[in-house]
Amino acid sequence: MHKLFTLLKVQYSNMLEYRVEIALWAISGIIPFFMLNIWTNNNLNESININNTMLSRYFLSAFFVRQFSVVWVVFSFEEDVLLGKLSPYIIQPLNPFFRYFTQHIAEQITRFPFAIIIAFIFFLLNPESIWIPNLIFLFLSIISTFLSFLIQFLIQSIIACLCFWTEKASSIERLLFIPTLFLSGLLAPVVSFPQYVKSWIYLTPFPYLIDFPANLLSGNKTNISGGFIMQILWILLLLPLFIKIWSEGTKKYTAMGS
Amino acid sequence: MIKNKYLVVYRKFLHTSFASELEYKTNIIIDTITSILSLVGSIFLLSIFFQNTGSIGGWKFEQALIIQGIYTILNGITNTWFNPNLREIVTHVREGTLDFVLLKPIDSQFFISLNKINPSGFLEIILGVGLLFYCIKINQINVSLSFFILCLITIFCSICILYSLWFFISSTTIWFVKTWNATEVLRSFLYIGRFPITSFSFSLRIFFSIFIPIAFITTIPSEVFLGLNQLWKIILQIVISCVFLFTSRRFWLFALKFYSSASS
Amino acid sequence: MVKNIIEVRNLSKCFDISSKNPGLKGTLKHFFKRETKSLKVIKNINFEIKEGEIIGFLGANGAGKTTILKMLCGLIYPSEGSISVSGFLPYRRKDNFLKNITLIMGQKQQLIWDLPPIESFYLNASIYDIDRHEAKRRIKKLSDMLEIEEELFIPVRKLSLGQRMKSELLAALIHKPNILFLDEPTLGLDINAQRNLRKFLKLYNKETNATICLTSHYMKDITSLCKRVICVHNGSISYDGKLDKLVKKLSPVKEILIVCRSEKDANALDNAGYIVKSKIKNEITLKIENKYVSSSLRTILNSYDIDDLYINEPPIDEIIGKILIKKEYKL
Repeated sequence: MHKLFTLLKVQYSNMLEYRVEIALWAISGIIPFFMLNIWTNNNLNESININNTMLSRYFLSAFFVRQFSVVWVVFSFEEDVLLGKLSPYIIQPLNPFFRYFTQHIAEQITRFPFAIIIAFIFFLLNPESIWIPNLIFLFLSIISTFLSFLIQFLIQSIIACLCFWTEKASSIERLLFIPTLFLSGLLAPVVSFPQYVKSWIYLTPFPYLIDFPANLLSGNKTNISGGFIMQILWILLLLPLFIKIWSEGTKKYTAMGS
Repeated sequence: MIKNKYLVVYRKFLHTSFASELEYKTNIIIDTITSILSLVGSIFLLSIFFQNTGSIGGWKFEQALIIQGIYTILNGITNTWFNPNLREIVTHVREGTLDFVLLKPIDSQFFISLNKINPSGFLEIILGVGLLFYCIKINQINVSLSFFILCLITIFCSICILYSLWFFISSTTIWFVKTWNATEVLRSFLYIGRFPITSFSFSLRIFFSIFIPIAFITTIPSEVFLGLNQLWKIILQIVISCVFLFTSRRFWLFALKFYSSASS
Repeated sequence: MVKNIIEVRNLSKCFDISSKNPGLKGTLKHFFKRETKSLKVIKNINFEIKEGEIIGFLGANGAGKTTILKMLCGLIYPSEGSISVSGFLPYRRKDNFLKNITLIMGQKQQLIWDLPPIESFYLNASIYDIDRHEAKRRIKKLSDMLEIEEELFIPVRKLSLGQRMKSELLAALIHKPNILFLDEPTLGLDINAQRNLRKFLKLYNKETNATICLTSHYMKDITSLCKRVICVHNGSISYDGKLDKLVKKLSPVKEILIVCRSEKDANALDNAGYIVKSKIKNEITLKIENKYVSSSLRTILNSYDIDDLYINEPPIDEIIGKILIKKEYKL
């Protein structure tokens, strides 16, 4: 634990060096606001029984959840493998993924002020959507955002481990990003999906990545216990898979001796 | 003679980058699936919007598909040409191999923006063209020679504007080295191009017409496609694309000047 | 009379360095009001290089060698002064000038990573307007000189560093440049590969009469290739001339090992007023300035009973190495 804390401190000061990049990255997450604009400007939300205010809160929450659950481990990992930086990490008595994990946490801390600034601008433009979430719900939504981050981190770490077998694992990540983008609720709340999608989507991890935490935060209706159970189930499913693939991968990596 | 040389060199570029891409065959397959899924996803999203309404911003579903088609073509072009070359420039600057490019007796902008191609973007272009043909059918568009020429002109202008935007970001690499995040911002803005510009509120419409001319990139070609062409809009688009091309060229030369007076 | 191919007059280069205080406050201040300092990294240097010469640039890290080299090939604008390289102003980077020169940087590679080097060669050939037939002929000739053959058809990423460097050289020389700029060409290569590279450069210089300017940290590169060296120190030229003269200047003493027949003589020598480096029983090593060597030896031979005698020239590598290690030195 102490190790992790030290690592986090180092990574944080490292991330501060990249604040311009992180600010830009925060800006690049504003797609939900464009979507909100389409929804409200064309009165599309009337049919799904969410009024303008609630919808704008939903998309702002979706923006926040996305900001704090963005994962990019596969890209760093791939670069480290290509540049041969991984070998020294592997012989250290700490799984290198803890290093990436703390990197992500540190990056989220650095990102926080920028996200707040963007939210502030959003409230200036849409003063009617200001709300103060109930403390319990705020707490629950933070937990579920973190769980969402964990799910995505595990999925991407598994993909990253594929680097041991194929040169460019990031293209698999780009493939997986497409359903994440369209099904997670970032562009449209899952309630608005047609029935034939809704019937199976709640079994996949996607709605629990953005839609569930965003609904919690914005105060929209959602199945709280069901959501948490599914999030935890997915983590329990992915974690052993990751551990397995990691040990197989390192075995292969060290056997190759490169 | 000079034109001939550039053609010969470009043929070599094509040859070498095809050969390098073929070294990663599984990658091409995965990218192919990605581009199909991406198109399916966008149409899915569009269908959600049209679930309970007949038109968005004055565009019917069949018409909005045209925008989707043009966006897909342009995105394919971005993935085939602009994106892999931008990645190249970043490595050139980071590893200092830009020096080699500058010492070649060939235009550096030509070298740097056409050196690589990524064939997996071709499928997106084909899908986009296919979708457009489907749109011709469902919208009962009369195809004539003038229609065809106007479409080509406007799409060509869109490509020029897009190219300039990407190349502009590429040039900033010389100062910032890490421009990945800037491209992400551009990408997220370009995302808007999937929808008719009229479906946004007035302020966003202004923003996307003046600051980042995304309105011009997809909406105008789509309007031409639908036969709603207003001559002044087309001329304006041509003028804007010329201005963009010119500016990106000047900016590159400026960046190079900075590079050679400050690099060490 | 061989004509000058490179002429440098009163050349200076300044870089603007912006300084920034650490912390948020420093960053903000830096953002609004940049404090820039102009740092003169090259100070008013003059030299000329004749056609066919091999010149070594010596100096510690950061002395300005690479900056000079980059100005000579036109990658950096000079701040003051003039440069002429085979009649061109380098920084204009005219096609005809670029076809005349080449730049090779150790550890920076221009070859396409995933493809065999031969592909990069043909690409370069078309960029330099060389037709396929001619290109093939040149590749054949250069690969014979470099002693590479099947490596040409193996993807670059699978080549060893030495093989890669040879391929880099071939790619850089395909347009028959008559001026070669080499920045640390042997960096990271093993002894064998270094030797091959030097052999090739010597041969290339002899066959084509190309001018070669190189910087290197391996003394062997300089001593075996260059007759003339230019020492750069803190942005100025501290020495420009023959290598052996530099060596004499830098090491004014010789070490002489004297084996006396008896230990008594050795003790007497020890107390005779010479600078003694070491003494083991009847063997004694003296340091004697170059100009006194012959006279001192005569006296020693006359007055002591000497069994054997060795004169050691201090190794050149070590001496020049001193220039690189020591930042301050006098010539």
